[in-house]
Amino acid sequence: MASALVEQLLNGLTIGMVYVLLAAGLSVVFGVMDVINFAHGELFALGAYFGYAVATVDGGGFWAALVVAPLAVAVVGAAIERYTVRPLYGRNPLYHILLTFGLVLVLKDGIELVWGPRPKELSAPAVISGTVEAFGFTYPRYSLFVIGIGAVLAAGTWLALNHTRYGLVIRAGSMDREMVTYLGIDIDRYYTLVFAFGAALAAIAGLVLAPRNGVDPGMGDSVIIPAFVVVVLGGLGSFRGAVVGGLGVGVVQTVMRSYVPVLEGLVVFLLMIGVLLVRPQGLFGDPEFEEAGDLFTASGGVLTDARRRQLGVAVVALLALAPLGSGVLYSPFLLNSLFVTVLTWALFALSLDFVMGYAGLVSLGHVLFYGVGAYVTVLVVMHAVPSVVLALLVGVAICLPLAWVIGQLSIRVAGVYFAMITLGFAELFAQIPNKVTQINALLATPWLPTWLRLPALRGNRGLFGIDPVYGLTGGPGVGAVQVVGGVDLLYYVVLAAVVGSYLLARRLMQAPFGSVLQGIREAEQRAEFVGYDVTAYKRRAFVVSGGLAGLAGGLQALADGGVSTSYLAWIQSGKVIVMTMLGGMGTLYGPMLGAGAFFGVKEFLLPVTEQWQGVLGVLFVLFVIFVPEGLVSIPATVQARFAGGPSGGTPVEEPDPVDREVGD
Amino acid sequence: MAADADAHGSTTIGTADDPVLETRGLVKRFGELVAVDDVSLRIPRGEVRSVIGPNGAGKTTLFDLITGVLAPTEGSVRFAGADVTGLAPHERVARGMSRSFQLTDVFGGLTVRENVRLAAQAARDDGFSPADWLLRPTGSFVDVLADAEAVLERVDLADRAGERAATLAYGDRRRLEIGIVLATDPDLVLLDEPTAGMSREETAATMALVGDVLADRTLLLIEHDVDLVLDVSDRVTVLDRGSVLASGTPAEVAADDDVQAAYLGGSR
Amino acid sequence: MPRDDKRQGVVAGVDRRAFLAAVGGSGLAGLAGCTGLGPGDGGTVTFGVVSPISGAYSSLAPAQRNGAELAVDTINERDEFSFEAEMVTGDTETEATQGRQAAQRIIEQDGADYLMGAISSSVGLALNELAAEEEVVYNPGAAAVPITGENCNEWVFRAETNTAQIAEAVSAYTVNELGTDVWFHIADYPYGESVLNRTRRRMAEANSESAVVETSRSQLGADNYDTFISDIGNSEAEVALLGMTGGDLINFVAQAADQGLKDEVEIVSPTMTFQVVRGALGPAAYGTYGGVRYVPALDTGDNGDFVDAYESEYDATPDNFARVGYQSILMTGAGIEEADSTDPAEVKDVLPDLETETIFGTNRYRGCDGQALNPTWMAENVEPDGGDPARVELLEEVSGEDAALPCGETGCDAR
Repeated sequence: MASALVEQLLNGLTIGMVYVLLAAGLSVVFGVMDVINFAHGELFALGAYFGYAVATVDGGGFWAALVVAPLAVAVVGAAIERYTVRPLYGRNPLYHILLTFGLVLVLKDGIELVWGPRPKELSAPAVISGTVEAFGFTYPRYSLFVIGIGAVLAAGTWLALNHTRYGLVIRAGSMDREMVTYLGIDIDRYYTLVFAFGAALAAIAGLVLAPRNGVDPGMGDSVIIPAFVVVVLGGLGSFRGAVVGGLGVGVVQTVMRSYVPVLEGLVVFLLMIGVLLVRPQGLFGDPEFEEAGDLFTASGGVLTDARRRQLGVAVVALLALAPLGSGVLYSPFLLNSLFVTVLTWALFALSLDFVMGYAGLVSLGHVLFYGVGAYVTVLVVMHAVPSVVLALLVGVAICLPLAWVIGQLSIRVAGVYFAMITLGFAELFAQIPNKVTQINALLATPWLPTWLRLPALRGNRGLFGIDPVYGLTGGPGVGAVQVVGGVDLLYYVVLAAVVGSYLLARRLMQAPFGSVLQGIREAEQRAEFVGYDVTAYKRRAFVVSGGLAGLAGGLQALADGGVSTSYLAWIQSGKVIVMTMLGGMGTLYGPMLGAGAFFGVKEFLLPVTEQWQGVLGVLFVLFVIFVPEGLVSIPATVQARFAGGPSGGTPVEEPDPVDREVGD
Repeated sequence: MAADADAHGSTTIGTADDPVLETRGLVKRFGELVAVDDVSLRIPRGEVRSVIGPNGAGKTTLFDLITGVLAPTEGSVRFAGADVTGLAPHERVARGMSRSFQLTDVFGGLTVRENVRLAAQAARDDGFSPADWLLRPTGSFVDVLADAEAVLERVDLADRAGERAATLAYGDRRRLEIGIVLATDPDLVLLDEPTAGMSREETAATMALVGDVLADRTLLLIEHDVDLVLDVSDRVTVLDRGSVLASGTPAEVAADDDVQAAYLGGSR
Repeated sequence: MPRDDKRQGVVAGVDRRAFLAAVGGSGLAGLAGCTGLGPGDGGTVTFGVVSPISGAYSSLAPAQRNGAELAVDTINERDEFSFEAEMVTGDTETEATQGRQAAQRIIEQDGADYLMGAISSSVGLALNELAAEEEVVYNPGAAAVPITGENCNEWVFRAETNTAQIAEAVSAYTVNELGTDVWFHIADYPYGESVLNRTRRRMAEANSESAVVETSRSQLGADNYDTFISDIGNSEAEVALLGMTGGDLINFVAQAADQGLKDEVEIVSPTMTFQVVRGALGPAAYGTYGGVRYVPALDTGDNGDFVDAYESEYDATPDNFARVGYQSILMTGAGIEEADSTDPAEVKDVLPDLETETIFGTNRYRGCDGQALNPTWMAENVEPDGGDPARVELLEEVSGEDAALPCGETGCDAR
């Protein structure tokens, strides 16, 4: 059995090395530039595709690809840094999420456009294929090659960081950017270099993985989350952390897969959550790490409160009357499906804004509450009472304490770590529908009551065919009641729930509770020092937010007639963040507008082009660069233009002088 | 502030035996670096105490330890007769400790009135039912509003109450911060370089304001302006490399040879 | 809102689609159906084709869509069809909810009465239910047994070969010719389970010597199989049977070949001969075994015409997904013709056991479960003369009647 373990360790180190190459770039880029680069996975994929192109062309080959592809991707990386990332320096890292999310869509669609959706094959040269025998064990040559090349690159990077002038400047820059600029060093040039270097490492990772895992457009998606986990686990900005984290995650993941298969898909996240709870800054992170940068929350705008209220009432009235045009001006599908989706996502975005725009908590795991709300609502309808209202209420009621617990555990870590720990929790929950049997086997102990076991969730197939009713236990069924023009009564239920939730959120914001949240948004330390328990307020906001997200999920599940695992997929968290930022954080209606704009643009692009995702990505990128305060800031900008205000540029409010205490 | 409840017993006249703040053997290490080294302070009620020392002497770190931003490696902090070493900053604020920062820290996007109102609201935090707290509009809490207006009058910002704090001039923002501190109704106020970056006139005006509105409170002051320190303080504590070099009346400290050597004569 | 209720109360309970048609939404086909126009009267039938254009199966989708499109063109060209067909498409992505939404959009917005598509089993199963709810005829492109088994319904007719049919070809040959000690590795989702259940059972029936060494599972979409490959290599197994497809299968076999697993065990997977799989694996596929649902080289039925037409239209060789897209719509089209009506409710009554000429010769959707009686083959991927993608060498054929589960065992009670 020793040989089996050695082999598994070797397997773990192989994939671990790939993680190291990916995470090193991510981590250094973050450490120096504060950029959270979600597009790193696409640079990884681009490395494999460029490699494929070079390897299959006449006179090319694998070794040529190993040289050319990283250089080509480095150029792409440098261009990305120069033209999209640079305008964002000094802003909160949150903006990079939106930006790089857009870049992901652009790069992925670009790859599909050039190389098509079919997976490509890239074979390794004979010299590194097959196996080799040593010390009584058999090793695949390719694993040794990957480990070797990874080790050489990691050592080289370490030497470059520690023993060259460039490395010195970069390390100094990651600790104190201003100091470096005071020394008269053109740090921008270094940024481009660092970004390009990170991109090249990612490209090498993609290329060396290609002969084993193939080359396909989804390959970036599959590595980006583990790579982030490695970075966070090791400590943001720490090269040592990336190495230890990468190898550790690779080995633990591989060995556990063999010995504790039930933890498949969970172990990485459990590891990360565990480490962050003990060491909130990751294994080798800087404990004094603080995020800098300005967060542009939208404010006021040109409309008076009264005018804004009139507009709001008008929008709701239009939505309420919209069914009258159904079947004449547009098909009922528009309302039953698209409008309902927009409304529930508006609510979801509103719930996220409650913590992101007001409490400054960027939750990448908000889909957890959305999904749990949806699953619970459906399960209540299936197994308990079929009532729409009761099922939604139970969904919310479960999400509230769940949010409290997850808030309690997560809010102790800050910034990006918070985003990642919530993502970790969400990914754990996302595995539940696929692991009901295994979980129930664990719960099948005599001292636990049988009702504690999970009901069947049917994995990816989801739970469909529910028959909810409007009454408490009976009455008209949801699918059967239509109001006018083929529009379901459910449309009004959703509309009422969303408008009601908005009014509730507004009320909370006008009360002392909300005023404190706004204070925290403006100046967290100040809020603490006038006597508010900031952590407790954040947690309470998180609870309210979790409840609203659960309601959004429940409503969407009722509209879809069931629920499936996509309700728990992390990408939905990304989508809702994008919508919130599109609309404008820190206002309650902005994110709701953002949801409408998101689906509206998608609906418009869908029939126009197959590359709609890429177009959407380009829009995000332009948006985050030019309209950082979101859609709600556009009227003020326009007004400023017409009033002869500051022409050109964006309505970026004059950044506060650093609002932070520095040492004496 | 006449309307203020006597929440923290601020009217009690202390004696020298009844220090409002006492630190015992405070030590703070960051790895190898000892930022604060065995600092013991006793600050009687009503005293104006200044902490001076060269850059890197550990003054702000000491403030962080007293207010709970940092946990001490060793030692304890006693405030108003109770050990507060393990309490979070907001809990110390609730007991009557307040602080301003070296770099002005106000709620920039909110109005001047809302800045002060938030502080006044915190001071009355105990008096609200959860339902009121969550759902009742802030505009209907008459007492809190009255507190806020009174503070705005005292710091002379009433006519700018509707402006966003971020748009105020630097001096006005300093005054607003003093207003925020005042609105929390503290017994002890820690001011970290309240006149940093100010002109002579502004400095004089600010200190006059501090003397006026915070006269009945205990003050702990970090200050670089030695003349000012010697002028306004009851007692002065000199820190050097984390530990107390000297402590006494302004005259005693000014005459101290060690202080002369290390600080007054040295760097100035 | 209550006023609306009262005024429009009559509408309550009316089927959405029928209503849409009545108010003249956009459903030409629905209109024809409701007023009972026969196809000969120039009715137009809208076929909705939903495929996983984005996501894990995106590489398989274009062929499915192309095949369906070719079938629609064929209907419009051939005289034997007296109605016009049109096609609207949608993207199911990879998952049940999105699949349902895409299909619902096509049914409700575009007025499609006939639905074809899906590749992943979870989407296929979700669309099964949707078809019954919306009362449209559905031809699944997914292979999971329950679609025409325990989850069957009278609206679903499958021209795709199901996992049980393939398992029939793979199972007996494997344990009789390749080895009796089998390690099962599956992707953890319905298709994988379906392969596991069928092949395990059929192997036991075909050879009493056969034994299961172990069963392991990986997540759908996993990209690193080193652990399992090492475990299999270190075991007694003579055969590794893989219940996975698409990118999962490609990654597994590429890594297995890399680690030398092919030298230690025979690697068998029902979908190993897929064009996409062979294309992506290159030499790594040589010497592996798989079931065959379709290869363009077949000389059955009108396959020659189909291959010619497909090649001239798309400049590519058709694969099984293209065949399914094509065959589904033509078989259903034959039903529309037979029923002399475009109303799916009438068509679904004539489709069962209606014999038509197909790529596999005379075929029919079986009455007891709606499953087409397709033949299957066991095959080996062998090194071709010209190098690169493996050539599929058929080893053994199982006839359509023999490959299908007996009617009593399908678990389909809803028909």
